[in-house]
Amino acid sequence: MAGGARILVVDDEQIMRDGCARILSKKDWEVVTAESGEAGLEAIKGGDGFDVVLLDLMMPGIGGMEVLEATQQVDPNLLVIVITGYATVESAVEAMKKGAYDFIPKPFTPDQLRIIVNRALEKRSLQREMELLKSERERSLRDIATEKSRIATIINCMGDGVMVCDRDSCVVLSNPAAGRMLGIQESSMIGNPLSQCSIDGTLTETIMESLRSVDSPFPTVSQELCVSGPTPVFLRAHTAPVRNDVGETLGSVTVLQDITGLKELDSMKSDFVAMVSHELRSPVASIHQQLSVMLEGMAGDLTERQLRMMRRAKERANGLLELINDLLDLSKIEAGMAVQYKEPLLMEELLGRVRELMLPEAEAKGLRLELDVEPPLRLVKGDRNNLEGVFTNLVGNAIKYTPEGGEITIRATGEGENVRIDVSDTGIGIAKQDLPRIFDRFYRVKSEKTRQIVGTGLGLSIVKHIVEAHLGTISVESEEGGGSTFTVVLPAASVQSR
Amino acid sequence: MSKILIVDDDPDLVEAVTMILESKDYDVIAAYGGIEGLEKAKTEEPDLIVLDVMMPDKDGYAVCKELKGDPKFGNIPILLLTAVVSKIPTTRYTQQMGLETEADDYIDKPVEPAELVRRIEVLLGKA
Repeated sequence: MAGGARILVVDDEQIMRDGCARILSKKDWEVVTAESGEAGLEAIKGGDGFDVVLLDLMMPGIGGMEVLEATQQVDPNLLVIVITGYATVESAVEAMKKGAYDFIPKPFTPDQLRIIVNRALEKRSLQREMELLKSERERSLRDIATEKSRIATIINCMGDGVMVCDRDSCVVLSNPAAGRMLGIQESSMIGNPLSQCSIDGTLTETIMESLRSVDSPFPTVSQELCVSGPTPVFLRAHTAPVRNDVGETLGSVTVLQDITGLKELDSMKSDFVAMVSHELRSPVASIHQQLSVMLEGMAGDLTERQLRMMRRAKERANGLLELINDLLDLSKIEAGMAVQYKEPLLMEELLGRVRELMLPEAEAKGLRLELDVEPPLRLVKGDRNNLEGVFTNLVGNAIKYTPEGGEITIRATGEGENVRIDVSDTGIGIAKQDLPRIFDRFYRVKSEKTRQIVGTGLGLSIVKHIVEAHLGTISVESEEGGGSTFTVVLPAASVQSR
Repeated sequence: MSKILIVDDDPDLVEAVTMILESKDYDVIAAYGGIEGLEKAKTEEPDLIVLDVMMPDKDGYAVCKELKGDPKFGNIPILLLTAVVSKIPTTRYTQQMGLETEADDYIDKPVEPAELVRRIEVLLGKA
């Protein structure tokens, strides 16, 4: 602003005009002069965009006061400094009352003039900045209002339920879909503490926990709920904390999906799978049993060729049984039967049992199986049998895919609010392109090395299912030929639920 | 020689198990259902019962419960033949069913002949 400012000097005395112009133009300001009130007004009305007007009060024709008044009408923000004659304080005061910014009595020194103009320009600059900020604020407020209304419309029109709680677990926002799914009037939720909204207890607890959680690597918790009523409604609820930039929890958002239809389909499918599997399993088990008996020579001696064929037949029957068992497991898990009994578990004990269970199999293949626990580990709330199944499966895989002389390590460590278990082996590893899919159902890595290994490709998808049902995560790191490490991270039981 | 009762509704399986046991010179009696199994357990008074779980007329748990609740037959060791296999449910099954039903041991179908014989020997106190 200091540079490039435009100043108008209105005075009937040539010497004053020139003097002012000379003094002010030294400061890189642009000075325009007018020799009368008329000329001055014309310049101002011309819209030349002056910042400051130096105005003599005593002029023939239109006087300074009139010019001042007219100026106020053209641009009330224009700063006018009146120049007053000797001891005419009264007229200066009057001019100030009429809106002049300041006055300067004649005679004045160049410094006095510069100081007063400079101050006026600074004020002008601040004024402009304020105007800018004001308009920006208005625009932002308008934008926010638009955005708010847009979001409100989107949320209200959504088919999925949305519910937002503040950090005091009061419901601050919910949409009609949420009310419908939870069987609660939307209006009776907003503004009320969660505990008074007659919302499903499990969901309430999850939301409370999400509000309490700090730095959890599983910010989003997904769970299935059943809202009882004349016809029970099944919901999938995703709950996640809302955090600010320093990681403080400000609230929690829950999105609800009505999965009743899916659930029905799923249960029909699971019933079907279970039925087929049972019907399949009994005869295959029977065939397997008969083959075992014959192979033992209990039904008479066999030729070498018969033995060989029957051994293969038995192997195939065994593979079939494994597939059926996996299918049964999967259908059970998907029918929601799997994770039912959650209790606080000591992982070192559970992993010890897994090691004990798997040791014979490992030793039979000439593998070392080590358990390395870094105590003290926090308890994990989980289903003992299912978690045992998870690690048995992971160790079983490691045994399958590790050549003789290799080593398998189960390592358990505490990791903040979690317990981390790594199952690593020195086996054949997994190729990069197979990594993203190994948790998929029926996916099996096909290569020369794995051709001989019997499996169904269901194991890891079941493992993942179970880990996720415990709000945990499973991941894998591997390099072809360089072994694999499967990492399961499970949330430790919170102190309250211990 | 010890007398063993095998109870299973699948005749092929009964035959296979019978052959395994006969190869070890056990005296084998077969029953093809829960009700028949219960009757034979009471009339024949075997030294051990190999009992299938899933049978249409009366399941293995019910048979086991009835026998174990009877002071006269309660001490006959029972080896449950389970089909619930696979690692995940078996462990739970062991804790919940095997123990609750007071069966003395359980083994998944199909059985390895040597393993079946070993378990039986343990139950008969021969191992």
